Amino acid sequence: MSITDQIQQVRSEFQTDLKSLSSENGSVDTIRIKYLGRKGLVASLFVQMGSVTQAERPRMGQALNQLKSEITHQIDTLETGSEHLAENHSDEIDYTLPGDPLSRGSIHPLSQVMEEIKSIFLRLGFSLAYGPEIDTEFYNFEALNIPKHHPARDMQDTFYISESVLLRTHTSDTQIHFMENHEPPVRIIAPGRVYRNEDISVRSYCLFHQIEGLYVDKGVTFAELKGTLDHFARELFGKKVKTRFRPSYFPFTEPSAEMDVSCIFCKSKGCNICKKTGWLEILGCGMVDPEVFKAVKYDPEKWTGYAFGMGIERMAMLKFGVEDIRLFYNGDVRFLRQF
Amino acid sequence: MKVSQNWLKEYIDISDSPEDVADSLTALGLEASYEIKGKNFTNVVLGKVESCNPHPDADKLSVCEVDTGNGDLQTIVCGAPNVKAGIHVPVARVGAEFNGGDFKIKKAKLRGVESNGMICSGKELAFNNDHEGILILNTDAELGTPIEEILQFEEDVLYELDLTPNRGDCLSHLGVARDLAALSLQKIKQSKIQFKESSQQASDAVSVFIKDKDACPRYAARVIKGVTVAPSPNWLKQKLEAVGLSSINNVVDAANFVLMDRGHPLHTFDLAAIEDNTINVRYAKKDESFTTLDGVKHKLSDFHLLICDGKKPVALAGIMGGENSEISENTTDVLIESAYFNPTVVRKGAKILDLSTDASRRFERDTDMENVTHSLNQLTALIQQLAGGEILQGIVDVYPKKKEKTTIQFSPETCRNLLGIELSDKEIQSIFSSLQIESKAKSGTMECTIPHFRNDLEREVDLCEEVARVYGYDNIPSSQRYTASYAAFTEDAQELDSLLRTHLHSCGFHEHYSNSLFSESFSRHFAAGDAVELHNPLSRDMAFLRNSILPGLLMAAVYNEKRQEKGFCLFEIGAVHNTSPKTETGSKEKIQLGLLWYGDPALHWRKYEDRDLYHCKGEIEKLLSSCSISQISFKPANSQGFTTLLKIYSNKTQIGIMGIPENALLKQYDLKQAPILADLSLQSLRELWGNRKHNYTSPPQFPATSRDIALQVNREIPAESLLITIKKDGGDHLKKVSLFDVYQPTDVGETQKSLAFSLQFQSESATLKDAEVDSVMSKILDSLQKAHGAVQR
Repeated sequence: MSITDQIQQVRSEFQTDLKSLSSENGSVDTIRIKYLGRKGLVASLFVQMGSVTQAERPRMGQALNQLKSEITHQIDTLETGSEHLAENHSDEIDYTLPGDPLSRGSIHPLSQVMEEIKSIFLRLGFSLAYGPEIDTEFYNFEALNIPKHHPARDMQDTFYISESVLLRTHTSDTQIHFMENHEPPVRIIAPGRVYRNEDISVRSYCLFHQIEGLYVDKGVTFAELKGTLDHFARELFGKKVKTRFRPSYFPFTEPSAEMDVSCIFCKSKGCNICKKTGWLEILGCGMVDPEVFKAVKYDPEKWTGYAFGMGIERMAMLKFGVEDIRLFYNGDVRFLRQF
Repeated sequence: MKVSQNWLKEYIDISDSPEDVADSLTALGLEASYEIKGKNFTNVVLGKVESCNPHPDADKLSVCEVDTGNGDLQTIVCGAPNVKAGIHVPVARVGAEFNGGDFKIKKAKLRGVESNGMICSGKELAFNNDHEGILILNTDAELGTPIEEILQFEEDVLYELDLTPNRGDCLSHLGVARDLAALSLQKIKQSKIQFKESSQQASDAVSVFIKDKDACPRYAARVIKGVTVAPSPNWLKQKLEAVGLSSINNVVDAANFVLMDRGHPLHTFDLAAIEDNTINVRYAKKDESFTTLDGVKHKLSDFHLLICDGKKPVALAGIMGGENSEISENTTDVLIESAYFNPTVVRKGAKILDLSTDASRRFERDTDMENVTHSLNQLTALIQQLAGGEILQGIVDVYPKKKEKTTIQFSPETCRNLLGIELSDKEIQSIFSSLQIESKAKSGTMECTIPHFRNDLEREVDLCEEVARVYGYDNIPSSQRYTASYAAFTEDAQELDSLLRTHLHSCGFHEHYSNSLFSESFSRHFAAGDAVELHNPLSRDMAFLRNSILPGLLMAAVYNEKRQEKGFCLFEIGAVHNTSPKTETGSKEKIQLGLLWYGDPALHWRKYEDRDLYHCKGEIEKLLSSCSISQISFKPANSQGFTTLLKIYSNKTQIGIMGIPENALLKQYDLKQAPILADLSLQSLRELWGNRKHNYTSPPQFPATSRDIALQVNREIPAESLLITIKKDGGDHLKKVSLFDVYQPTDVGETQKSLAFSLQFQSESATLKDAEVDSVMSKILDSLQKAHGAVQR
């Protein structure tokens, strides 16, 4: 039998083997070894090349190489194809099957708002400070110019642990802790958890979070307090927001003010959220009262400063339109997933 | 506090719209909203119910034929219980409008019966607060007469003020008028008080003795004899009702009128009940009991100040009068008290009794000591005008030490510097004069004399606020310049927290904020030390401050399990507290990071690995390495609340625990499926992170060589100890060890197990020769054999 005939015979035998493989599910490896192995049928044909005439050799070589690549290709296809079949039981790959569910988690909306506020003030050169949740009357009240039996204590219902130890009612305690341990100038923000002895409802909870700001330096003015907080309001609520400052009262600042921003929901036209006033109350602020400086042994003749504080829950409720404050604390993943 | 515009107008002129007045008040620091009173409807007329029959299809409705004066009868369906035939009523005709068109009356079918109008209640007309039934009128006016011609609707604006505690002076119409006058540069209108006194001396009828002059620096009294206690006239009733007080009788109402007018609380006694014609002001004895005029018997403390007669207490000073001496219908002689009580004494006394009254609220915020006699005279005149009687001559006024006027040295320069405004001395002085503050300029400073009604002004800085307030906070420019000092920068001790949040969130964890107050039983679930107890908790369920971060996570897990959530991961960063007697607060605060894995990942066509303990270990290692914390190891241990527990170490420092809570505990939470928990000390993590080093080694130039070994060891031997031995003997060239198989071959018996490791060797200086690696391998195998009895399979 000529080599050409043998090539033809190997080719047709290979096709027969392939068909029986598909139906009987035989091993691809067995076929590979039979045809492409070191002692396989294709290799044995190459051995016979020695007996071919010099003139015939190029043509025969070409035909043999053709056969080899045909078989190699078909076996390769078979191998990848069979893997796919084993997995999919289908003739085609379905790329519309859903991708792996690598679900993300969430950063709590209160943390998000806190981070956003922090980042605004960090850009303005404020550093961070922290105070303890359990504190003494001195830090929470007295050093802040709220003596015992002062009506201002009614502004905050307090949880007591003992006669002089309490759960802080505001982050303003951190002002005192920080100033006691640092010489002026001081430029800090102090985030943290605070407690109020209030019944739990849609609008109030027994605890919430605040962020406090304090700047003490030479020649700090009320105008500068306004400038800083105006900038802050525009960063947080958008360039178009307007602010309003109105006199208020905090024992630890004088003059004291409350800052409102123009209602972001109704564009100041008056809606239920702003109680038809066109303004949203955002934060309390003022110039540090000289009594506070005296409590931390700063010279009130030499230093002036401003302080401000705001509730994170209120900001988050405004920002995300959350109407029930309790959603922040029950860990409902159906709520958390949305942040 | 409610303030009536008509009342304010007795002191100042008001021409601005209610909205502008409210804005002015708010800008002055008296946060205000307003409400317009008076007729706020159209097309409501007098009608007569001619017939009234039950609605065929509704139990509570009646079908009425109402004559509204046009001769023709209108059918009106009415739901009021007091509707009946023959009565005269206000009828809103079809087309009538309420509240400026907010509400319009239209023809409507009510359960199949057409109704042509509405019969109104007092509340619907804003005539009174009665909404129980319709307003029945007793009138002979012609049917069809506009209702406003029959009923009087007083036009007024009520301002609701949200006052800050420093402005006690504004708890009165006069006080509010003064602030508005300052803004509009008006003078306060004052009317003269006129009355006639008899020849009998008041001092013969009553003597006053003050025991503690700090608690009561001034006590003044007058006596009126022969009054007739009766209901108040309408003008007084309306005035009081407008600002939220209910009318009692002419004498008591007169005292309340002066209270709302000038802000000074006064008290009226029935003189007949005052024994020995004597008033003694003294502190109560401990546990002395006293019944106030609301009928409540109080047990007093020795800091309660009492007004007594010759024998017994008759009033709780500055808080409430006594039941034994209150004005009754039979009262003929009245003793009027006008006193000044120390704010702290009143507040302390009222607070402990949980008794806050119109009087105590004002005394606590400090009252005007110089206004004592003026208010007394005003009330005396008013009582005589309303109830008649004879005013005894003179005031019994015990005022041992006259209060000096406050003067404050004020530097306009300091004020300008604090506020950051350009305001001339003259402008500042005109602001002062509008507030009735006298100022004398003296070489760069001003000597300011404060009016006696503003005792909140004590220091220079208080005057700066007055300047800012009247000048207008909104007129102070917002500074366009930014200042800061480099010396003010400090490090952030909690910088790591944001990194953890970012990492955990991208790994599928949801951040949880739990209530840090819980019940005592929760504080005993884990070995977490003693929890701090609140003295005045909201409830027993929230009486302790958490001592562990884990209960909050478990409660969130139950919450979600009950809502059919099958798989989720949570984390919380927060403070926990323990009692610690040696510290100033008796407590110690720790910051913890808690993690919780619950259930399995979402169902998916490709199988995902379960969240078992190994998975969670891996997540913790990944978390820690993301914060550059290395040398992590886990050691099995036991602890309360856990069936399985691993302590987590970085090098030799324990940084936390992880494990599976025990079934008994899960039952207490009503959790059906066990989650996996981890509790890490954030303080330790922050320290380790703070000390992290940024070392790097250049990537290796020479190829690595691998060796796999399968070891057979006793089942008791922990994998961790084999790994330690391998690493110890592997030398510098051993770069990586992977435990890639753990199995139980059938041929080794029950007591043995087989572990397969893959070791990778690499040198920085040369390609390792087989012989070098082989010698290390034999050393390792030798040690494994000696230390753990491990043999190569």
